[in-house]
Amino acid sequence: MRPLRFAIALGLLQADSLSALRAIGLETPERTSDDRRLVVRAGALDFVFARPADIATYVERGAADLGIVGQDVLRESGARVLDLVDLGFGRCRFVVAAPTSALERSLDEYRHLGSLEVATKYPQVARAHFERRGIPVEIVRVAGSVEVAPSVGLADWIVDLVATGATLRANDLAVIEEIAGCTARLVANPVSFHARRRELEPIVERLAAWAASRS
Amino acid sequence: LKAPSLAPPRGFRDILPTEARELRAIERSVGATFALHGYVPLEPPVVEHASATLPVRAERLIRFLDRDGALVVLRPDVTTAVARLVAQRYGDASGAVRVAYFGPVFREEPAMLGAERQHDQAGVELVGPSGTPADAEVLALLAETLARCGLSDATIEIGHLGLLRRFFDGLDAAAMDETLAALRAGKVVDALDRARQGGLDAPRLDRARAALGSRGSTLDDLDLPEARALDETVALARELFPGDGSEGPYVTNLGLVPELPYYTGVVFEGLSPGARYPVAAGGRYDDLLRSFGTPRPAIGFAIPVPRLHLALYQSGWRVPDERALVTLAPAADARATFRVARALRAKGVAVAIGDVAEHAGLEVVALEVVDERTVRDASGRATPVDLVAARLAR
Repeated sequence: MRPLRFAIALGLLQADSLSALRAIGLETPERTSDDRRLVVRAGALDFVFARPADIATYVERGAADLGIVGQDVLRESGARVLDLVDLGFGRCRFVVAAPTSALERSLDEYRHLGSLEVATKYPQVARAHFERRGIPVEIVRVAGSVEVAPSVGLADWIVDLVATGATLRANDLAVIEEIAGCTARLVANPVSFHARRRELEPIVERLAAWAASRS
Repeated sequence: LKAPSLAPPRGFRDILPTEARELRAIERSVGATFALHGYVPLEPPVVEHASATLPVRAERLIRFLDRDGALVVLRPDVTTAVARLVAQRYGDASGAVRVAYFGPVFREEPAMLGAERQHDQAGVELVGPSGTPADAEVLALLAETLARCGLSDATIEIGHLGLLRRFFDGLDAAAMDETLAALRAGKVVDALDRARQGGLDAPRLDRARAALGSRGSTLDDLDLPEARALDETVALARELFPGDGSEGPYVTNLGLVPELPYYTGVVFEGLSPGARYPVAAGGRYDDLLRSFGTPRPAIGFAIPVPRLHLALYQSGWRVPDERALVTLAPAADARATFRVARALRAKGVAVAIGDVAEHAGLEVVALEVVDERTVRDASGRATPVDLVAARLAR
């Protein structure tokens, strides 16, 4: 049987993820920023480096047994993986934001036109939120720089992931509503979690203890 | 005029002969094992009233209005159809209803995962009896079915929703429901958070967390009636079908919480090392028949046949006891050719006359008809038909 495979998100969570794994005594790959290798053996584990949005897919489909991924990705993908440990880092939140100067105007528009345009990189999260609130919206999907959407007239509001809120303030946007908080999570493929429990359990237990000791 | 599309609609596909032959071999093994345990075949229709399909989310159903204006659905599972049918026809029966099925089910899947909208499902339902012997009977039947299909290394992972609820005793109904819903969705962190908000104290949260992570250990020390019942169920299942090794394929696993909401007691999945998806799933669903007006306990399982097929294929399985296909190059005299074919088939040898475009992965033996008693093989040697028949029919 192949070694356990651990999926690590490239980008913001990568450094914290690897240092958490080192903190529980796992050997982690030496990987420099210009390293092109995406599957790296370290100790008894294979590490797979992938874009955050793909981690949930890798783990859901069993290409990786374990992964560390932001809850934002889990919420947006709806992937059926086991969300086992709240690791505490990578804290951010989904918010609805609107131009500070034009909030009243957009609400007036909503009263008159009965619908709002919402730009976002997270259409599933946005759709679910406005459905819960009973507000009809048209979701405008963008791939990046969503905070610019209101000022160029692409949409009235945005739904985005924020950590500090600095980007929102720089673009003259204010938070209207918080949708949900997100942290980095240890996730497992359900079949691997059952069938390879003996190998997975020590990692899960130690990461849970590590996270608990920090919270 | 636009030529018709040659591909079937999205999510549907043609199953070509090599695959179909293997699927039918699986169907034979599965059906024979079900019959051996006294489960009789049942064939509900593939279309049901939309109101009669309770447990599946609407967006995953294939629904349409028929000409009478009725909202109908291509059945997403067979269990619900069996529940409806048992309520209608065996509502007053005092004995057990043991039924088996093998047929297509339909689901609307996210197209991006390349998932199919139709696949075959095989399964059984045992309606009437409850208690550990009934649970053990169905567990053992699944274990034996997988073994007889040729999947020798499968494990049967066994959880228990009644036992799981015990760890969250004291939560009010809403907190309990939300905790279990989170567990069904795989959200262990959220489930434990919800239980904490619902008032579960730290030691009991730790106990719940540990239970969700425990696998393969005896449940004696839990000192709960459900735990003793589960241990006994596994012991009884071993009596019916021991499998290999001292433990057999059975593994208790309280972290197993299936996505389907209708289970009430024991739940289980068949896993095969290397297979990325379960090859079988089932459990006790004592409340489902009540929704059809006939409160009767029931337990069953379903095997998604393509996943069992995939696991078998990956383990190197091929259809057992298969004979070669003879292709007969005809002689000028069609009568002689037909008599050779008749003689071979009388011995149980499969014969196709002429060139064959598709041999379904079968070994092919090419013979040329010389006269009604003689054929020539590929090496050019003339051989009596009787001798060839005896050799191929061994």
